[in-house]
Amino acid sequence: MKVTYNWLKDMVDINIAPEELAKKLTSAGMEVEEVIYQNKNLHHVVVGKILKIEKHPQADRLVVCQVDIGNGRIVQIITAATNVFEGAVVPVSLEGADLVNGIKIQKTKMRGVESFGMFCSGEELGIDENYIEGAGVNGILILPNDLKAGTPIEDALMLNDVIFDIGITPNRADCMSVVGIAREVCALLGKDMKKINLNYDIDVYAKDTVRDYVNVSVETSNCLRYMASAVTDVKIERSPLWMRARLNAVGIKPINTIVDITNYVLIEFGQPLHAFDQEKIKGQQIVVRQAKEGESIAVLNHNTYNLNDDVMVIANESEPMVIAGVIGGNDSCISAETTKCVFESAVFDLKSIRVTSRKLGVRTDSSARYEKGVNVANAELGLARALHLVSKLKCGKIARGVIDIANKKNPSRKIYGSVKLINDILGVTVPTSEMVRILNSLGIITKVAGDKLECEVPPYREDVENDYDLAEEIIRLYGYDVYDKLDYKLFEHASVTEGKHHPRLQLERAYRNMLAEKGYYENISYSLVSGDINQKLLLPEEENKLVKIANPISEDISCMRTSLAHSLFLNMAYNISVGNRQLKIFECGRTYKAKSLPLEELPEERNLLAMAVCEDGYDFFYMKGDFEAMLAKKDCEYSLVRSTKPFLHPNKSADIVIGDVVVGSWGEVHPTVALNYGIPAGVIYGEIDTQYLAGLQDKKYNTKPISKFPIVDRDLAVVVDEAVAVGELLNSVKSACGNLYYDASLFDIYRSEALGVDKKSVAINIKLSNLEKTLTDEEVEQVMKKVLKGLTYKFGAVLR
Amino acid sequence: MLFDELQNMKNKALQSIESAVDKKSLGEIKGEVFGKNGALASLSKGMRDVAPEDRPKVGALINEVRNVLEAKLAQKEEEMARKELEERLNSEKIDITEPAKNCERGALHPIAGVIDRLTDICVNLGFSVVEGPEVESDYYNFEAMNIPKNHPSRDMQDTFFINDNILLRSQTSAVQAREMEVRKPPFKIVCPGKTYRNDSDSTHSPVFHQMEGLVIDENVSMADLKSMLTIMMKRLYGDDTEIRFRPSFFPFTEPSIEVDVSCPTCHGKGCSLCKGTGMLELLGAGIVNPKVLEMSGIDSKKYRGFAFGFGLDRTAMILNSIGNIRYLYRNDIRFLNQMK
Repeated sequence: MKVTYNWLKDMVDINIAPEELAKKLTSAGMEVEEVIYQNKNLHHVVVGKILKIEKHPQADRLVVCQVDIGNGRIVQIITAATNVFEGAVVPVSLEGADLVNGIKIQKTKMRGVESFGMFCSGEELGIDENYIEGAGVNGILILPNDLKAGTPIEDALMLNDVIFDIGITPNRADCMSVVGIAREVCALLGKDMKKINLNYDIDVYAKDTVRDYVNVSVETSNCLRYMASAVTDVKIERSPLWMRARLNAVGIKPINTIVDITNYVLIEFGQPLHAFDQEKIKGQQIVVRQAKEGESIAVLNHNTYNLNDDVMVIANESEPMVIAGVIGGNDSCISAETTKCVFESAVFDLKSIRVTSRKLGVRTDSSARYEKGVNVANAELGLARALHLVSKLKCGKIARGVIDIANKKNPSRKIYGSVKLINDILGVTVPTSEMVRILNSLGIITKVAGDKLECEVPPYREDVENDYDLAEEIIRLYGYDVYDKLDYKLFEHASVTEGKHHPRLQLERAYRNMLAEKGYYENISYSLVSGDINQKLLLPEEENKLVKIANPISEDISCMRTSLAHSLFLNMAYNISVGNRQLKIFECGRTYKAKSLPLEELPEERNLLAMAVCEDGYDFFYMKGDFEAMLAKKDCEYSLVRSTKPFLHPNKSADIVIGDVVVGSWGEVHPTVALNYGIPAGVIYGEIDTQYLAGLQDKKYNTKPISKFPIVDRDLAVVVDEAVAVGELLNSVKSACGNLYYDASLFDIYRSEALGVDKKSVAINIKLSNLEKTLTDEEVEQVMKKVLKGLTYKFGAVLR
Repeated sequence: MLFDELQNMKNKALQSIESAVDKKSLGEIKGEVFGKNGALASLSKGMRDVAPEDRPKVGALINEVRNVLEAKLAQKEEEMARKELEERLNSEKIDITEPAKNCERGALHPIAGVIDRLTDICVNLGFSVVEGPEVESDYYNFEAMNIPKNHPSRDMQDTFFINDNILLRSQTSAVQAREMEVRKPPFKIVCPGKTYRNDSDSTHSPVFHQMEGLVIDENVSMADLKSMLTIMMKRLYGDDTEIRFRPSFFPFTEPSIEVDVSCPTCHGKGCSLCKGTGMLELLGAGIVNPKVLEMSGIDSKKYRGFAFGFGLDRTAMILNSIGNIRYLYRNDIRFLNQMK
């Protein structure tokens, strides 16, 4: 929201500089995002009158001008412009000027003749044809003849205001206007609001009234108030410079008297107005209603919209003229030929306008105000102000009477606050008298009775409802700096509560730290992915139903990921592409799968830890070690089975199963998937369900006594079929050793032609121990025989 | 006679021990002197020819010579061993500037690191760490936070929608109502996690991280909020950190504030990070709007609360001097390995 310093000064006696005012507004919650000085690039530019023009002695295209710049000073300026003439009044930039287009003016010599400045075009002053006639021409801006030479251009052209760009929070719809900001300024400076002129002249003897020009009916509950006035003998012309200056300053293009008046009131009072060409209102009938299916309207943004029952329109007897509160139609708008006009000053339901504006994708200054809420009482003030301006500009004759229907007034409300509660909320003590002063300054008329504050809240402050709202109003004006030096103990008035870490986050933290120590880098990726994630990972759609975003930024981030593999493979491909070929990465994150489509309930979100490695020599068994280390932290019995994950190599991958739940999987990436992502075929990927693991007990340690007697060490090598699993051999060894078992470990696997096709020699180191005594050779031999017998019987093992 | 021979042998042996160059020659000398047929043994045989009255004297001399030579030999052996060790140690000199081994460290992601730190700080202050869904209902993300459908305050956030009732949470505040529904006051919770907004430019990422904090108790105030946030920010940014409140607006808090934190880079003097202001706008906070309490079934007459929320991406960027938000999600190893 842009307002100007001078505009505010119309309403409040401001006795502080713009910068200071900006600071005060910001400290009270009206954040001034920018203070713009209109004259920033206009210093050293004055009005000049060209007295004499002579040809340049050395150049055909240049002329030498003698220019009166006031106070008896005449300077010589050389120009190539062709639209200057003797007697012309023009803007002259003198030495020291620093124009908006970056040109800095210095004394120069042009082909041997001195020039002390430059004439300016409208563009060089930052203005256009809409602002002042001649500003848009290709050449020098020729100013009105009555401007006095020597006048600073910022004064001559009313470009001397200071603009505040203020961020208005959504709760303060009442501040979407100069009047609203002025009310805050009054409260901040302890001043009263000046009276704004709402008077206008009417011919009391005239026979015609507004009803001779227009009738209004309201047929929708979305219209909370509709007011209309008629103006005849309309003069459509340029509005006066002061009005154009105001509109230009806040970024609105001046057009003509009537349109400028509606925009002026919009900015000043926050009241959107619409002006119709009365002769184009068919049947002289205005109907406020919801649009009918099949209706359409061509509007001022050059588009045509098809309408339906959700959209409120202002129609004539047969068709829509305006999309209510949003944008006017082409057919009924003010034109150069308009002689009679009807002003509409209405208030609409904010939701209705918001829905329409969203649906059509049209946002205007009007809709921006309506959708935040315009106060019903405001319509009256806005219309009166517009009629006042018609009188002031003498641009029409105002018909007697005002139409005012569906007036759903909201009167001021009474609320009650407690001084104690307000101070309890704030945690500081604001004197009661200060509370009353502040609230009154904001227009909330407040009386005190003991602890009780009786507050009459004006209709435009619908946001003020209870003690908490009052507390905020009080503290933002009392000043939040009371907290700066506050000496206050931690939780002086709070209960002691026990802080608990999140179990899954804690488990993940242990894993993350372990992996980081082992050389892995933690990744955090977008959980938003492209819609082809399932295809790329060969995942079946029915078990991986995608959660799709209705309004994505782009296709590559349009769905929620169904697997972390996608994220890590993309990260891996990216890193490889920039030359990082040895990679060990992991990510803790979620997968999201819809339970049914279209989505009716929230999808299943699952927390996993995923790892991906691309490193020379790193294989399935390295990652197996990482997963064993992770599982070792939890009290669980798990088994490994061949994985069914479609994105893994079917014969170089495993699932970790606890009970009948697959809690993790890892293995070499499927060659097709590797191709899909452009990553090497040997990449090892794994994931584990940290959410499931976090639900398990931590591992309990149960230590056994250590034998005093020496451990017996024996090696055994057997030849078995390739298909025999080493894990099963080791299990068989363990059970054969019985209670003498201490450890059994693989130390070599050997294959050769001599052994035969599909045969391998497995060498196992066996350690035996007895708590009671030293084992004899005989006992050991017996056990070893049993071990071999078991292996032979179960696996056809042959001693090597 | 024997007497002189002994003396001669002693002097000769001492000399050859002294001049022995290595263990081998020392071993030979040892054999020559002490061996079965060594000099000492053969001279001892001469005792038979010594007059009985001289025998004790000669015997004593033999013993003395033996002791002297043994001592000399031991001394020489020790000297040689010491020298040998010294030479070995000298020959084993390494270059200590060669690179370390067994140090293949990776690193944690800066955002995850910030979550670790902050949750530790908060748990110490009595907060429990909780989580909530990221694909969230419109109710918890907006309506229960006092942001009704079609309300202008919805414009404060560009939201990703799945359909009319389901969306990607635009704020971790969505967890507040869920927790208020199931917890009994007094309680303190924090919720870190991913959040989503339809906004992508040089300073905004469509996926980002926030942490929300909520305290519900009987008598807490803005002053408690101030003292608690001060401690939290001191623990995060250092003991000389100060915070300042500014008015703001959030539909779910009243009063609502922005919290400025003294710039950890320049300590309030003004630098490029804080754009010369000495302060960084880092948190939003306020007293929980009583409407929000009531909607979640908490008696707003009895209980009051305060809430705060902040962006973890920005926190990670400030704490680790990260200049570009894009780095956080690109997972480039050349970036991540700087976090070692």
